[in-house]
Amino acid sequence: MGNTLAARRGATYELQQGYRLMMLPAVLAVVLFAIVPLAGMFALAFSDYHLIRGTNWEFGWRNFVRMLSDKRLMNSVYVMAALSVFGVIAQVLIGSAVAVGLQKITGRWRVGRVLFLLPYAVPHVAVALIWLSLFTPTLSPINAFFDLFGVTVPAFLTSQWGAIFAIVVADTWTNFPFAMLIIMAALQGISPDLEEAAAIDGATRVRTFIHITLPLLTPALLMITLFRFIDSLKHFPMIFVMTKGGPGRSTQATNYYAYVQTFQNSNVAYGAAIAVMLFLTAALISYHVAKLNQRVTT
Amino acid sequence: MKRMLKTVVAASIALTASVASLTAKADEVNVLMFGMPYTNGLQALAADFEAETGIKANIDVVGQDVFENRITLTFTGGTGDIDVVHTPVIQVQRWIQAGWLQPMTDAVAEMPGAADILAGPLGAYNVNGDQWALPFFAGVGLMSYREDVLEAAGVGVPETWAEMLEIAPKISNDEHAAIALRAVPGQGFNMFIFPMVMRAYGGSFFADYEGGDLTPAINSPENVEALKVYVELINEYGPEGAGNFNFAEVNAAAQNGQIVFAVEGTGIISQIVDPDKSRFAENTGIALPPGGPAGRSPAIGVHGMGIPASAANPDLAAKFIEWAVSAETVSKIALAQSFPDFTTASVAENPDVVAKYAAIHPDFLSTRVAALDLAIGHYRPLIPEWPALGQAIGESVNAAINGLMSPEDALEQAEQDMRDILGL
Repeated sequence: MGNTLAARRGATYELQQGYRLMMLPAVLAVVLFAIVPLAGMFALAFSDYHLIRGTNWEFGWRNFVRMLSDKRLMNSVYVMAALSVFGVIAQVLIGSAVAVGLQKITGRWRVGRVLFLLPYAVPHVAVALIWLSLFTPTLSPINAFFDLFGVTVPAFLTSQWGAIFAIVVADTWTNFPFAMLIIMAALQGISPDLEEAAAIDGATRVRTFIHITLPLLTPALLMITLFRFIDSLKHFPMIFVMTKGGPGRSTQATNYYAYVQTFQNSNVAYGAAIAVMLFLTAALISYHVAKLNQRVTT
Repeated sequence: MKRMLKTVVAASIALTASVASLTAKADEVNVLMFGMPYTNGLQALAADFEAETGIKANIDVVGQDVFENRITLTFTGGTGDIDVVHTPVIQVQRWIQAGWLQPMTDAVAEMPGAADILAGPLGAYNVNGDQWALPFFAGVGLMSYREDVLEAAGVGVPETWAEMLEIAPKISNDEHAAIALRAVPGQGFNMFIFPMVMRAYGGSFFADYEGGDLTPAINSPENVEALKVYVELINEYGPEGAGNFNFAEVNAAAQNGQIVFAVEGTGIISQIVDPDKSRFAENTGIALPPGGPAGRSPAIGVHGMGIPASAANPDLAAKFIEWAVSAETVSKIALAQSFPDFTTASVAENPDVVAKYAAIHPDFLSTRVAALDLAIGHYRPLIPEWPALGQAIGESVNAAINGLMSPEDALEQAEQDMRDILGL
């Protein structure tokens, strides 16, 4: 009896060993391609690595201290916050609305769902070029159309809030399908019995949506908000193609500012420090939202 | 602690290096360029190079943003996966300072074809007594104008920016604006165009660049006056949204007949006057860009090919560059692409090339030569800090254009940024 148990424990142990071995390539890949470069970025952030001024390899907090008094960085955080908050709200709202609408569509029209997914498949640089054309009055068919009625559409890209609006629109167009997909999956997980029961009890569709569907969607809504918010901290291609950070420095989000510091100003260490700050912000938000998510789901 | 952090940086760079260097092969040459008519043409001729030399050329042509990211990674990591690199002249000092390029002096001395390269662009790559790259492109600033519109308004071609301001209200109407100029911020965007106005008014970036006094002087009265002209032209006489125009938008506006004047690089002007590309080309003339009280200073942009310090195959790289700038290769590209900006002198004697560009516009090649004669090599300062300075000044200039600041305040901010970047 004892021997059999030992043999069974041995089999489990071997199985566990096998699983660990199978995980090894993935662990190695993560260590080599994520952990080591990340450690390099952290070390660079504490260094004085500058491509032109020379490097003494002195390590310290100077880059982080400088960040506290860098007005351009503060401006970039403000721009990033505006882009992220407006962008994420628009994407989650539109994504959810489209998902709820599509959920009710049945039969062969369901194929239409694919149409809504298409923007998500377009590369970001191409998306930015499309919207740059649409927001450039001399190229835009929208302007040409309104011109027919003597209405002049303003040039969005030449004012700060206009440019931020334009980038949010482009970002929302390409990213709302992600929110839509997640919400659609979550909607499919909600039993139709609940809605039927509510209907029998005399609840209107709106009340059913607010009091039954929406609470059940909360974990999914939280998750997409988190994912989109973290992704939105990496704003770059839309800004690079549509405004080059302009007018002036009005659309230089933090990630774009890190690019300017690293690639234009040759200050690699300071660029890395900004990237570290972005990374830590994303990590902090992830941690808190994960905890919140846990609380909501349990 | 210091040693540990240094080791971490070295380890992360070495990891990248080891992965990237796996791609380097002894009998192949890896070329990294960013997209331009010449580089696209060169990529299409890779098989010719292999047929002639037996060496395989892997020519990678990427977008400019991808290019910058890749070279920074490759150069700082010393990965050796690039043998030949696209080298814009405005970057060369910075790259030399950072130790990213290796001198080509000895290799060029053994190239008979090097004597065929135009002296001005060639000299732009001669720094500290060494040759660091060979040029393949010299674009200069030119002006295109709608002859029919000027004739109808009874005005001539402006010789100065002040004359342009006088003419502009007479030719602006609902059908077309007077002029479009690059305005988006960046040392290769609005800072390709604005110095033409600035230098025409006697302005400069520094107190005495040629005398070696690099004290910033961007807030000088001459520069402020020039910026006011630039801002007025774009805002009062440019199309709607001109404050965010780059070369693509200027090109499109000219080809669609939405503007009368365009001041642009040769690459764009050659498209505006090409009947195959623009339906207004038949009525479009070419002239030198306007000047001012201090004369005329057409923009100039030079691009070349250099060899990274970390190149795995520098000998093959030199061979490739010699082939790439040879009269035969450049002629093929000039014929296949819209590429009149060549720096290989004898290509201008190739009858097919002359015929092609004369057919586009009879004045094109001669006006280009006249502009090249007037252009100064340090149109944009040839110092390692220029990319950072150009970016900062370009942002201030764009802020003035879009009304975020007055021209005076914008250049005051640019002056402060210049001091910060130069550590003054």
